[in-house]
Formats: sequence, structure tokens, C-alpha cells
Amino acid sequence: MEIFSGLLNGFSIALTGTNILFAFIGALIGTAVGVLPGLGPAATIALLLPITYIISSPVTAIIMMAGIFYGSMYGGSTTSILLNLPGEAASVVTCIDGYQMAKKGRAGAALGISAIGSFIAGTVAVIGLTLFAPPLAEFALDFGPPEYFALTTLGLLLAVTLSGRSIVKGLILLVFGLLFAMVGLDPISGKIRFTFGSIGLQGGFDFVTMAMGVFGLGEILYNLETTIKTEIVTTKIGKVFPTLKDWADSKWAILRGSAIGFFIGIIPGGGAVISSLASYAIEKKYSKHPEEFGEGAIQGVAGPESANNAASSSSFIPLLTLGIPGNAAIAMIFAALMIQGITPGPFLVVEHPDVFWGVIASMYLGNGMLLVLNLPLVGLWVQMLRVPYGILAPVIVLFTTIGVYSVQNQVFDIYSMLFFAVIGYGMRKLDFDPAPLPLAFVLGPMVERSLRQSLLISGGDPAIFVTRPISGTLIAIFVLLIAGQCILSIKRKMGRKKKSVNP
Amino acid sequence: MKHLRKVSLFLTLALVVTLTVGGLCFGAEQYPTKPIQAIVPFSPGGSSDLLARTIEKIWPKYSPQPMVVINKPGAGGVLGEEYVVRSKPDGYTIYIGQGSGHDLVMPHLQKMPFDPLKDIAPVARISIHSIVICVSGKSPLKSMKDVVDFANKGNKVTAAVSTAAGSVDLVMRAISKRANIPITTVPFAGGADSTTALAGGHLAIGGGHPSEVLPHIKAGRFRPIGVALDHRDATLPNVPTLKEQGINVATWGSVKGVAAPLGTPPEVIEYLSSTLKKVCQDTEFKKIMTQIGQPIDYLNTKDWAAFMQMAYKDYGDLIKELGIKL
Repeated sequence: MEIFSGLLNGFSIALTGTNILFAFIGALIGTAVGVLPGLGPAATIALLLPITYIISSPVTAIIMMAGIFYGSMYGGSTTSILLNLPGEAASVVTCIDGYQMAKKGRAGAALGISAIGSFIAGTVAVIGLTLFAPPLAEFALDFGPPEYFALTTLGLLLAVTLSGRSIVKGLILLVFGLLFAMVGLDPISGKIRFTFGSIGLQGGFDFVTMAMGVFGLGEILYNLETTIKTEIVTTKIGKVFPTLKDWADSKWAILRGSAIGFFIGIIPGGGAVISSLASYAIEKKYSKHPEEFGEGAIQGVAGPESANNAASSSSFIPLLTLGIPGNAAIAMIFAALMIQGITPGPFLVVEHPDVFWGVIASMYLGNGMLLVLNLPLVGLWVQMLRVPYGILAPVIVLFTTIGVYSVQNQVFDIYSMLFFAVIGYGMRKLDFDPAPLPLAFVLGPMVERSLRQSLLISGGDPAIFVTRPISGTLIAIFVLLIAGQCILSIKRKMGRKKKSVNP
Repeated sequence: MKHLRKVSLFLTLALVVTLTVGGLCFGAEQYPTKPIQAIVPFSPGGSSDLLARTIEKIWPKYSPQPMVVINKPGAGGVLGEEYVVRSKPDGYTIYIGQGSGHDLVMPHLQKMPFDPLKDIAPVARISIHSIVICVSGKSPLKSMKDVVDFANKGNKVTAAVSTAAGSVDLVMRAISKRANIPITTVPFAGGADSTTALAGGHLAIGGGHPSEVLPHIKAGRFRPIGVALDHRDATLPNVPTLKEQGINVATWGSVKGVAAPLGTPPEVIEYLSSTLKKVCQDTEFKKIMTQIGQPIDYLNTKDWAAFMQMAYKDYGDLIKELGIKL
């Protein structure tokens, strides 16, 4: 009942004219930021932070910033589907089937199902946040270095399996992703490594830089060479909205994605990425037609998109209940709260119930607004595919360049993007599926750091990974997945041999 | 068409006139005539960023032009500072985060692309953050003596530190040396991560700045057992220093100052330093700084420059004594 009265109080705050307006502004900016390649919610919130000094009420400011954050998750799928250009790590998986759907003239269905899935997942996660925030917060604390190692290693395994056609190519990209992630400062000793004396490289590469280069510019370079027949501009764009069959195909994917995203999203750092990977892997396993994955399966869009949205909402749990910012955008919201004189943490709900419940209530409204905002936009985005490639490509180059610069305000990152563009071009020439590269790049530093931290804690004893319940379970899943895959391929080979022996 | 051409001609003329007049006035008008960029060499949300944003908020009360915070993170603060070192010394690019460790500690450990004492002009000190040693609220350890006894009984002492060779790491290594107990320091990706790991009870001890550990202390998840300053920290008056507990360790923690590119006119530096002083005396500024656990400790340009030299030498001596190498 305490929750109920709290939520009611929250709605009475969120439903005032000003707060509705700012929730809408946040959702609108968030959608735009999500669509613009490279420009992320963290950089945007940082830019807009001075505005919050003028807004007198802290609730209003936080409502707007939260809107930007989860709004960007809605918008993030747009460029992944239309242009094969993931704005952030959690959208890489969406590219795989989303872009294939767009190529087949089903961009509208993909975008529509993303918006609907995001709405359902966002709402499910906010309900979860309302009911279970405090008990689940402790779960986030249970993740120490060994648990992170087990989780991120599992993530790497899932990333390799993404490269559907060839596991070997997936492994090659995995190794390169890990290598690129190692440039810069050694996370444990603080030594500088692989920088060849360059100060720019000391900071290491940035994810957005790599994704924009490998996906966005790499694709453009490749298309330049082939023909300007612009394969993404299909003659018929097809129905704008998903059909009933699409809905029937993806409703369970959406619900599973919501649950996965909600739980994994609570874990600070990497929660959203890993949940999108897990959702994709599970949908592929559950599907009656796993061969469709990679060729434009709608579940491959619906599941991960729902998962990353649910994760973005549940990442508020550690912030609001423990005072732990789980990712860069949440860290900005954390900073904004602190400057407003509000310390996020266990006392937030007691000391500032209006902030706690007001923000949660606004997230119910915000998700509704985003659905209303995004569904009509689907038609508009799809029209974008009609723009001749000769115009679209330079515009993409312009926006990615601005976006990449905006992340750290370093010119060096633009050069890095060009470097990765050449690599992306080479990958396309050699028929590599790029997805595992950026995912290994994101997970790599977490794997390395947590592995070395765990071994420091245990004094070099690897038993630490299997004797703790959570990491032990995760390692067991890892082993089972590999064993299952091995048995499957051995069976397949035996079957082939038998066939060839007894024709 | 003719009409259009006339309009554009007029606009061009207007622009030329404005620019010329504006340019002529520039010399006469007093600094600042446009917004001041404040470069923070760390990511948004960290303690240096919080400080910069608090200054950004109060600054317009005392200056006709706003201050705009720009984050240029990377290489532990070196990239952002290097950008300022290379910037035009016109007073419109300044630096918030001088003294944050990379300029006091790192030069003793590795080669730097610039000399942090000679290639940048100090403006003022704003704050000093102590290092507070903490244990988990559930831990049986209640003081530094308990930690020493715990280690002497043969238990392994693991310590969560923000980064390798960072301010917390140095304190832990100094405790290990002076109290003669083995401590394994485990570096994380920053203060937020290391305090989260300690809150989960994954390590024996840890530490951080008051801004990082205060919320956890309030929640009972952390127990503060020592402050690594010469004197007690104003934000935690009940917590004894390490020296009071017989461990001869005191460092400067993390110092937060403002600097400008070398060659910035003295009157500009004077303006910045005196305006920052007014900011530091502002009631709202004081209130926010208390809330974010950053004690105000203002020093003017001359004293801050002297302090930098001293702290640089102190850290150099400590690193030499502890034999720290990357």
C-alpha cells in the first residue's frame, strides 16, 4: 500500500502541466538524439545540464533527463534498421535482422515492432521498478569481479554466435575486437600499451568511433565502389506498420526480451548490451525457423529492442536506491541530482519522495508519449529511404563526424573513425559480418579487468570463478553452451559420415 | 532577384560593419566579452566534473559572461590538460582539474607530453578531497588497528582502489609499507566502481573521496575507519586520521584547482582568481559543495602555485620511498 500511495503521489507530481511538458521535451529530444548517429544521451544531457540550473524544481529537471535517456533507446533502433548504423552498443544486435528487413522492403514493420516492443518493455520495466526496486538493488551489489568475468565471458560467446554463417570468422573478429580494446592504459597496472607513442591513442578507442567507422562509413565506402544503384532504396517500401502476423510472431519475443532486459539491466555496466545479446540468442534458440535469423527475422528485432529498453529503465534501480550510476547517461543524471542538492541512494525515497515517485510516474507517461510520437514517425523514416543515395551518404558522413566528435570533444576520434571505416570496408570485401567486432570491443575491457581483479583477490586461484554461486552458475551455462554446440556438430559430422559410407 | 541581391548586399555590409566595430571595441572592452570554456579532463559525473558544474552554475552571479564546461576525458586526465596547454592564452579556455593526480603523481611514474608545473599557469585552488578508508558495514573490523591485527593473523587484506597509482592506491600502499602489513590493491575503473565493489563486500577494505563514500556511510553500508589527511576532515569530524591511529600516512588526497594556458595575461588570471574567490564565498556554492562532499579550500594564484610545487615534491618523495613503478 505504501507503494500505491507513493505512486499516486508521484502521478500527482508528474501530471502537472510543467512536468508533462518537460517529460515530452525529454522524450522528443531523446528520440532525436537516438536517431542522430553518434550523438548519445550522455553527451546530450551534459550539454543540457546548464538548463537544469534554471529549472527551479529538481523533479522537473530529472523528469526531462530521464526522458532523454529512455527516449534515445526508442530512437536508437531507427538508424540501425534503416542504415545499418548502430548508435550505441545495445543496438548492434538490432542491425543484424533489422537492416535485412529494410533491404527486403519491410523497414516499416521493423521500425513499428521496435516502437511497440520498446513501449511494452519500457512499461513492464517501470512496473518492475515500482514494485521491486529495493530488494533487487541488492542483487546489483552481488556482482563482484568474478561475477562480471563470468557474465561478460558469456556475452563474448554469444557475440561470436551472432556471425551466423561462419564461427571462424566470428572468432577472428572477436580477437580483433579484444585487441583494439587493449589500446591505451592497462586497466590494472596503469601502464601505457600499444600506443606507439601517440597521446591520442593513450585514451584508447571509443565505442562510438568504432561503430560509426565500421558500420556507417565502412558501408558507404563499400557502396561507393560497387554501384550507386542504392540497394536500400527498394522500389516498394511495403506496408508501413507491422501486420497481425508480425505481431503474433514477435509478442513472446517482446515479453521475453522485457524480462531479460529488466533483470540484466540492473547490473551496472554493460547490462543493456548483454541483455540484447542474450535476448537475440534466446529467440534464435526458441524459434522454429532459426535459419531465418540473419536474413530478416522479426523476432531478432523485437526481442533485443525490447531488452535494451527494459534495461534502460531498470538501470534506474541502482541509481535511485543505492546511489550507483550504472552507465554514462545515468552518471550524468546522478551529477544533475547532486548539483540540485539531492543525493541519490537509499534515503532518496524517504528524504525526497516527490523526486523518487515523480520520476517513476513520469516514466509511465513518457513511454506512452514515445509510442504516440514514434509510430507516426515510422512512416516518415521509411520515406528517408527514398532519398537518393548520393544525397543520403554525404549527410550520413556529416552527422557521424559531428556525432563522433561530440562524444569526447576530441578531433583524434574523427581520425580513428576513418581508420575503422577502412577496416569496415575490408570486412565487407571479405564477407565478414561486422557485429562481433564492436561487441567484443565493448565487452573486452570488462573481461580483462574483472579476470585480473578476481585473480588478485583470490591470490591467483581460479577456483574463485566456480565457488561463488552466481559466477559458478554463469560459468556452468557457458560450459553447457559450448558442450551442446560441440555435441551437435559431432553428431552432424557422424551423420554425414554414415550417409557417405552407406549411400 | 534584384530585390534579393539588395537584401544580401545589405546583410553583408551590416555583417562587415558589426565585425569591424566589434573588433575595434575588443581592445577597449574588459575581459570577458564572450563565454569562457572550462575544460574538464574527466568524464561527466565524476568529482572534478561535479565541481566544475557547480562553479558553472554559480559563476554567472559574479561575471557578465557564462562559463561553459566541456569534458575532454582520456588517458587519466592527460589528454584534456594537453589540450589546454596547447590552447590560445586569451582567457577564454581555462582548465578545471589541476592537481587531480595525473599532474602531481603521474610525472613521477611515466613520461608526460608536457611539464605540469611549467607549461600551465595556476589560477586558484578550490577544494581538497581527503581519502577516507572504509570497510563494509558488515565487517568485524572497526579501526585501523583491527585491520593491522587482521593482517597479522595471516588474513589476506584486499583493497578496492579507484585506479592504478591513483590517490587511493598510493594511500593503501603507504599504509602497507608504514604499518608493515601486506595489502593487495585491486584497481577499478574509477571511484564509483571501486566503492560499489566494496559495498557488495567483495573486498576487505577500500577508500575514496567523501563525495563517493558519504552516501554509503549514511546508508550503513560503509564504516569509515580513517582519514589520510594531516587533520580530520570537516565532512567527517568523528573519523580519526591515520596518524592519530599510529600509522604515519598523510597525503594531499585529490586537490582540485583551476589553471589557464601559459601566457594568459596577468590581469585575466587576476580576474579569474578573484571571481572564483567570490564564487567560493557564495552561500549557495557553499551549500552545494557541502552536499556533494567537497570541502571548499580556496587558495589564490600565488599560494596555489607554491602548493602545487610542494605537493608535487611530496608525492615524488612518497613514490620513491614506496618504490612504485608502473
